[in-house]
Amino acid sequence: MAKTVFDKEMFLDLVVNFIPLFILLFFIVGYTVYNPFGIDTTFRSLQYALIVTPFIMLTILTYLSAKAIGTSERDAPVYLPGGATVDGAEPVEEHEE
Amino acid sequence: MQITGQLALTVVMGLFLVVIAAWLAQIEDWRSYTPIGSGGATGESGYVSKEKPAGISRWLTTVDHKDIGLLYGAYGVIAFVVGGLMIMLMRIELLDPEMTLLSNSFYNSLLTSHGITMLFLFGTPIIAAFANYLVPLLIGADDMAFPRINAIAFWLLPPGALLIWAGFFPLGDIVPAQTAWTLYTPLSAGVGGGSQANAGVDLMILGLHLTGVSATMGSINFIATILTERGEKVTWANLDIFSWTILTQSGLILFAFPLLGSALIMLLLDRNLGTTFFAIEAGGTMLWQHLFWFFGHPEVYILVLPPMGIVSYVLPRFSGRRLFGFKFVVYSTLAIGVLSYGVWAHHMFATGMDPRLRASFMAVSLAIAIPSAVKTFNWITTMWNGRVRLTTPMLFCVGFISNFILGGVTGVFLASIPVDLVLHDTYYVVGHFHYIVMGAIAFAGFAGLYYWFPMFTGRMYQRRLGKIHFWTWMIGSNITFFAMIVLGYGGMPRRYATYLPQFATFHQVATLGAVLMFIGGLVWTYNFVVSWLEGPKVQDGDPWNLREDGMYTNEWQWFENKQETALADGGDEEEAVTDGGTTEAEAEAEAED
Amino acid sequence: MDEQPGLSDQYRRASPWPLFVALGIPIAEVGILFDVFAVAVAGLLLFCGSVTGMLRESGYAETPWRPLGAFAILLFVVGGTLAFTDVNLVTRGYAIITAGGLLAAAGIGGELFVPKREAV
Repeated sequence: MAKTVFDKEMFLDLVVNFIPLFILLFFIVGYTVYNPFGIDTTFRSLQYALIVTPFIMLTILTYLSAKAIGTSERDAPVYLPGGATVDGAEPVEEHEE
Repeated sequence: MQITGQLALTVVMGLFLVVIAAWLAQIEDWRSYTPIGSGGATGESGYVSKEKPAGISRWLTTVDHKDIGLLYGAYGVIAFVVGGLMIMLMRIELLDPEMTLLSNSFYNSLLTSHGITMLFLFGTPIIAAFANYLVPLLIGADDMAFPRINAIAFWLLPPGALLIWAGFFPLGDIVPAQTAWTLYTPLSAGVGGGSQANAGVDLMILGLHLTGVSATMGSINFIATILTERGEKVTWANLDIFSWTILTQSGLILFAFPLLGSALIMLLLDRNLGTTFFAIEAGGTMLWQHLFWFFGHPEVYILVLPPMGIVSYVLPRFSGRRLFGFKFVVYSTLAIGVLSYGVWAHHMFATGMDPRLRASFMAVSLAIAIPSAVKTFNWITTMWNGRVRLTTPMLFCVGFISNFILGGVTGVFLASIPVDLVLHDTYYVVGHFHYIVMGAIAFAGFAGLYYWFPMFTGRMYQRRLGKIHFWTWMIGSNITFFAMIVLGYGGMPRRYATYLPQFATFHQVATLGAVLMFIGGLVWTYNFVVSWLEGPKVQDGDPWNLREDGMYTNEWQWFENKQETALADGGDEEEAVTDGGTTEAEAEAEAED
Repeated sequence: MDEQPGLSDQYRRASPWPLFVALGIPIAEVGILFDVFAVAVAGLLLFCGSVTGMLRESGYAETPWRPLGAFAILLFVVGGTLAFTDVNLVTRGYAIITAGGLLAAAGIGGELFVPKREAV
């Protein structure tokens, strides 16, 4: 078990959320490089706020949940999801798929 | 005359309170607030167990999560039947453009009520039914964190339904609302001709408000339960997928429904007390749309995440394999939860908002397609090379995936601004969201109902009827909703009681599909009622033979313990032939595979 | 909760109050919105009374009288705001104040005249 909960396996699992984050980033950069709608400070800042806010929120939530899951994996035996209170439940092997 | 009316009403309300007080005083007997409880005048025979009174009092006073779950389930199913009958009337009206079965205004009323009934009175409650019954069992909790609040949340729903449907009852000059479920202002603010200023709209808004309060109370309860009441061995790392989706959904409800409640109250004040929140010269026409869809889009995910959880939970049980990429599903569920708040204005692309904002909403809408698509691949990969058992719940899960792909892909196109501008407000949109709401959400709901039917009722349903139900619905829903998509491409606008002759064929096709689903619905009702009353009793705690694959889970363990502690009550009269069990027919079917 | 731990909490899976809390809300809402005096008063009484019953049942309050008084004060404030300020919804305000008055009477009467039960 690694000292930090963010090991390679964890990052592999998190790829699923990196993709939408990447798409958001793509549009943030895209709208900066290519701006067909002219200059208007209010709407321009709103435009960025509407993409940047979900980006930040998703980053935070992904981090928090990954930390919670990783910490429990490290500190307690891991059973099958939904199978922890079954009679005679055995912890599953680490990283077994 | 006026005075007499008031007096009579006062007397009636007074009597009402006295009756309630009398009933409460009587019911006090069996619970005297003393821990010893020696004053039980009714004696032992008055109890189902030591926990609950018997008879109707049990259901009126229960705070047990399982009973409340069953109440939610019964409520949701009744609302589903009502909403289904409404749409059957509408589909018959649409058989022919000249049809005059319904007046145009009654069609509009049915349209409004069908939407609200299915989303708020069926969708949300049926999810709450599963969640109430199962989450405490799945996470090893004794009950919900706040059992009484749980009961309040349920009991708010029946008055809510009565208020929403109030216009359909013969109540003086109250007519049903014709605002459509989105309640766009200025129409819903009572401006203009027609019946928009009628009290029926006010009552419907009040009813909606109540269901919103109910959902919020429920969500607080689920969040508290999942965060604090988990059993010792149930950690974040082995929390089941259904509880994960309920947790995310509750978070969404917590932020979305209070906003709906506030907006509805503003609307009520505008209608009745002369405020001008949504007046053209004040808030403008767009304010309501922004408020509504900031609630409305998360609502879509409030409705779809738990059914995704059910599918993610049930599908592996009949694939003989664990859910592929379990953590992918968890993280993508959370991602959907966050991103769902950043996409609301994609319902408003055609309103002429600033193009920069529109572009942002498109970006987030495209991003949110990824987590949903990821789940689809996870489900497919779970079945890949698995030992698939095509039981009725499994069939509904597979049907869910198929319909979800169709509904989802049509949705991705709508997220693109140029496409949306062409298809906005056409039957394409109707087809898209019915694929999701009926084809996916309801299908997953029925997968759950079939899967846990043995646990809820202690009996088994008739498997052949279950499969007939699935196939009529699978074929019926695809006929109806695919016809809608074609109609949308042709330019058929939404929400009309009639149409140009060129659309007749596909409208008739859509009605055919609806009739097929209606027949399937009858089969299902018969199956569930009869099986509940006299189906073969389930003999063991593993009716689906999950242990064979090592897929046994907490809630069935609870069921097994309950079965074992229950007294033997002559249950050996008939053998329980379970859908998942290897009976002769099943063995044959497997041999064919 | 703390005052009544153990058996009674563990085995009670029934409570008569939630149903009436839930009934009280819509009745009060309809009464206040449509300005029907008797309905508004009855709904508020039902709601406040049931919440009080629940507080008492779960041991958050020892007797029902003080929660009733607290609800009465709350209703006086809300009703007063509606009736006597610029909001100017006089009849609705009076309905709420009436409900508050009845609750206050019950609360004060109970506190003064009902003999205290033995501690539970």
